[in-house]
Amino acid sequence: MNGTATKAAKDRRAYWAMVLPSFLIYLFVFGFPIVLAIVLSLSNYGGGKMFGGTSWGITGFRQYQRLFADPYFWNALKNNIYIVLVSVLGQLPLGFIFAYLIYRKTVKFEEFWQGVLYVPAMISTIVVGILWSIIFSPYGPIADTANHYYASAYSAKISGIFQTTGGLSDPDELTDQIIKASPSTINTVFSDPSVDLKDFLLSYEPGDTATLQKDLVNLLAPRWNADFLSKNNVAMIPICFVTLWMWVGTYLLIFLANMQKIDRGIIEAAQIDGASEMQIMGRVVLPSLSKVIANSAILCISGSLSGFALILAMTGGGPARVTQVLSIYMYDKAFMGAPDYPLANAIAIMIVLFSLALVGIMFALERRFGGKE
Amino acid sequence: MNQQQGVQMRGKRGKKPIRPGTILGKAVAYLVMGIFAFMTIYPLVWLFFSSFKTTTEFRTNMMGLPIDWTLENYRSAWKIGEFDKLIGNSVLYTLGSTVGITFLSLLTGFAFAKIKSKATGPIYGSFIIGILLTIQSLMVPLFLEVTSIDRGIGDFLRSLGLVGSGEFRLFHNTRFGVLIIYIGSALPVGIYMCTEYIRGIPSAIIEAAQIDGAGYFRIFRSIIVGMSKPIAMTLSILNIPSLWNEFALINILVSETNLKSLPLGIYKFSGGLSSDYGKQFAALVIGMLPMLLFYIAFRKQITAGVSMGALKE
Amino acid sequence: MKKKICSALMFLVILSMGAYAQKTTLTVFDYIDATAPGYAENEAIWQRFIDENPDITIVKEELSNEPFHQKLAAYVAAGTLPDVMYMYPSGRSTMLHEQKLVKDLAPLLGKDYLANFIPSVTDPSGQKGKYLAELPQSISYTTVMFTNTKLLSDLGLRVPSTYAELKAMLPKLKAKGIRPVLMANKDDWVMQSCLFSTIVGRMLGDEWIDNALAGKVKFTDKEFIKALDFVETMYKDGVIGRDTIQISYGEAPALFAEGKAAFFIDGDWRQNAFLTDPSSGKALIDPKRQQTDFEYFNFPAIPGEKNPGVASAVLGCGYGISASIPAGSDKEKAAVRLLKYLYSADVQRQYLELGRYITSRKDVKSDKLEPFTVKMAAYHDAVKKTCYVLDGALDTSIYTPLNLGLQQIGLGTKTPTQVAQSVQAAVDAWRASH
Repeated sequence: MNGTATKAAKDRRAYWAMVLPSFLIYLFVFGFPIVLAIVLSLSNYGGGKMFGGTSWGITGFRQYQRLFADPYFWNALKNNIYIVLVSVLGQLPLGFIFAYLIYRKTVKFEEFWQGVLYVPAMISTIVVGILWSIIFSPYGPIADTANHYYASAYSAKISGIFQTTGGLSDPDELTDQIIKASPSTINTVFSDPSVDLKDFLLSYEPGDTATLQKDLVNLLAPRWNADFLSKNNVAMIPICFVTLWMWVGTYLLIFLANMQKIDRGIIEAAQIDGASEMQIMGRVVLPSLSKVIANSAILCISGSLSGFALILAMTGGGPARVTQVLSIYMYDKAFMGAPDYPLANAIAIMIVLFSLALVGIMFALERRFGGKE
Repeated sequence: MNQQQGVQMRGKRGKKPIRPGTILGKAVAYLVMGIFAFMTIYPLVWLFFSSFKTTTEFRTNMMGLPIDWTLENYRSAWKIGEFDKLIGNSVLYTLGSTVGITFLSLLTGFAFAKIKSKATGPIYGSFIIGILLTIQSLMVPLFLEVTSIDRGIGDFLRSLGLVGSGEFRLFHNTRFGVLIIYIGSALPVGIYMCTEYIRGIPSAIIEAAQIDGAGYFRIFRSIIVGMSKPIAMTLSILNIPSLWNEFALINILVSETNLKSLPLGIYKFSGGLSSDYGKQFAALVIGMLPMLLFYIAFRKQITAGVSMGALKE
Repeated sequence: MKKKICSALMFLVILSMGAYAQKTTLTVFDYIDATAPGYAENEAIWQRFIDENPDITIVKEELSNEPFHQKLAAYVAAGTLPDVMYMYPSGRSTMLHEQKLVKDLAPLLGKDYLANFIPSVTDPSGQKGKYLAELPQSISYTTVMFTNTKLLSDLGLRVPSTYAELKAMLPKLKAKGIRPVLMANKDDWVMQSCLFSTIVGRMLGDEWIDNALAGKVKFTDKEFIKALDFVETMYKDGVIGRDTIQISYGEAPALFAEGKAAFFIDGDWRQNAFLTDPSSGKALIDPKRQQTDFEYFNFPAIPGEKNPGVASAVLGCGYGISASIPAGSDKEKAAVRLLKYLYSADVQRQYLELGRYITSRKDVKSDKLEPFTVKMAAYHDAVKKTCYVLDGALDTSIYTPLNLGLQQIGLGTKTPTQVAQSVQAAVDAWRASH
């Protein structure tokens, strides 16, 4: 109890006792790994004991050169950008509009919408990923329903053709009509349709048109294009959709809560002055939420960079790596096949830089356009 | 400026105030939101019913209700996923880290908010940077860090003759390691929220306590903890689902079955093991049910918490 | 004071959590698919060892397919290899062989013990490191055309002996909604291991691969591109559907068993998926139908093949012992005891009966085999000449772009020439560093 010096020392001790445990854990989980990633990305560390094992050393920026020369890196980056775009330009506006509709009581049952749309955010991304991969699979419900539909439509077409042409009694005419009716599929089955299809038709008993019609549907009905999800530019669509599906509810909640903080008086005044709904939204609600929107965008960006579990469970980055994002690509390099730790760490650094750059852009945009609280 | 002009001009023209939403607008709003709500709920309902079908029935009757309800899927999924071993771990990891995160965030937040120190600027700033980083991007160096440290300590203790030839584990493949890393990964957001919250507590209360001779720890215990209940609640409510569902980190931190958490068990049912839809669906339901129940129980608090400081996994 | 006690306690807690074992503990990393038939029986086999050896504690981790390889690679990198592990004679386990991370089993198991096995599996030259790093439990034939003969004969079709005959069946099969050839191409290794290796063996031969690795010929040469062209042709003809790239490895057997495809191409180990699961008594294909409705064939003759009838085969997998276990230690003895148990005639007979593989142990006989297993042994005998499985013959850095490229050909996003170029580039890089 003597003097301020002791008190200051005591305070300092209390301060550090309160800060240090958190800070050390933080350094352990964030700080040290970043330093390690930087060091290893500049090295030729090949695994094994880090100290005292096979020697390794700093080799400079070779890994980054390799990375930039790798088309799969750019593909992963591109996919990441897709997800960021869908997140920022999809989740936020949709969340905002839904929140606004509820806020303005355009739709009733506020609790219901809030309650339901937030559900996906509570489910494990692994569960979500597996569930949607089944839904989108070539044997999943979408394909199944679509194929049923295609088959019954085509079946009606075929039986119509059989009626007008008189079936197998005029095989040439029948062949022509069927070829005309099946432009998208005929060439995938027969290399010379007019000859091969006729042979095929004539291989059936004339009386057995029912079987023939059924078989023709199997053979030539258009089918749900299962491989569309494996093509370069569309393969990301299901993943982007599911990302949207998962997080719209979150932003709905954030925006709605913040709208409810807006002074009702301002809106009523605007209404009395005759402002339209769009004007109220654009000139009253939007500006007062600008800060929240900017923060949400930052949240959204860092969230969209962590789509690791979702993509791992949905596609594993496949087929042929078209749906890889940076985190999957990194995981691939580190844990699949022969590990390439220097490269994987270079990717880690690239992800960190990428997210900081995006957040920087967000801050700049906010400073430029936002700020009216 | 613009805004006011616009509103005034309308006012001068003397147009009638438009009621929010015409009939058509309302119909479109209901339709769009209805479609969204349907897309949210239907796959989950479909999943639930499909989990009672055998794989054969699923193939022939994909969209309808099960004809022969079977619980067999759940029995075998439970066995294959070894969920009995995993559930306990999931509870431990979730609750243990939630308690740790909340406690440390309050403690550190209090120091940042109410104890003057030159160190607060840089240290608090470094935590803020942590909010912007996704921990997933660091999983490779994190993995190398924990395994190398374990190995280093193990070799060292072995050279002193303190441990036998067995593998030494501290961070990798231990519950302790998972807890520490889970706590660390959520600290930036937690500390940010708590610091901002505690800043809002009037300093006069603290000063009064100090005059009464209370040290900072006692103030923390007797005043701050009590007054910070709302933020502690929010933090826990936000962390519980994201920790329960966490996959990317535990996937690299743990490889022994008896240390794994639920999402790792469910991941077993993806890809290579997807031959049996029935079991797979049952596993998915097992995977999502706990958090759905949690959501139903705490919906109000979760909704409030998310809007305060939404966290994303 | 209180604080000091606290921190001391903390330290103790941390130490005790970082637990270590003094008793002989063996960590085992096993390859098994928990949903596959016979899983419970496999567990029982291990349990018996645990019961009979109370002085050994077994800490076992199980994974299968891609996650297994990923984890093993992670262990190698971190230097925390398990004591006993399931491994390949080359391919994905190459690093274990090349870095000599596992012990030579020949002296540990002894000549007398190894005499129980067919000579080709105990021959060290078949393994990547040229020593007996693992004892192959079998020889794996990686190309088997599982054929639904009942379905063919119902449609008046017969088993094709040439690719042209196979292609000619398409309209008839598709008219009944049946896919001609099913493959689980979602995993990129499947096309390479289970079909392309045989194509290369037929069209080029092992010697050509050796020459390519020695730099005497190039993968961009016409011959190799022709082999890739054939893959493209199969996709273009619709013999293999492009949508097979969406079919996961686990999904395929059920589809084949349901009669959704006339042929199913996979490795010989896949017969296991169709057998009766002892725990449920159910089989994807029941033994009666296994006997009457299905047969195994080699892939039909390919236009332009030089080595007719060849099929790819590789030494099977087996268990290895970590080299970090001190020689002569209790742990080493425990590991050897475990291996001798796993390779005993009794356990091998059980594995044979479970249909996991055709065992390489000579003294194992059983009359309880399901028809698919019996037929697989016959298929092994019927294939007179074998060729490389490419992921066994090539380095990881070379077969990775090849696997990927085969998938890209399936998707139609890369041409055979482009794929050949990427493979040759990998070969050049590999040769430069060796």
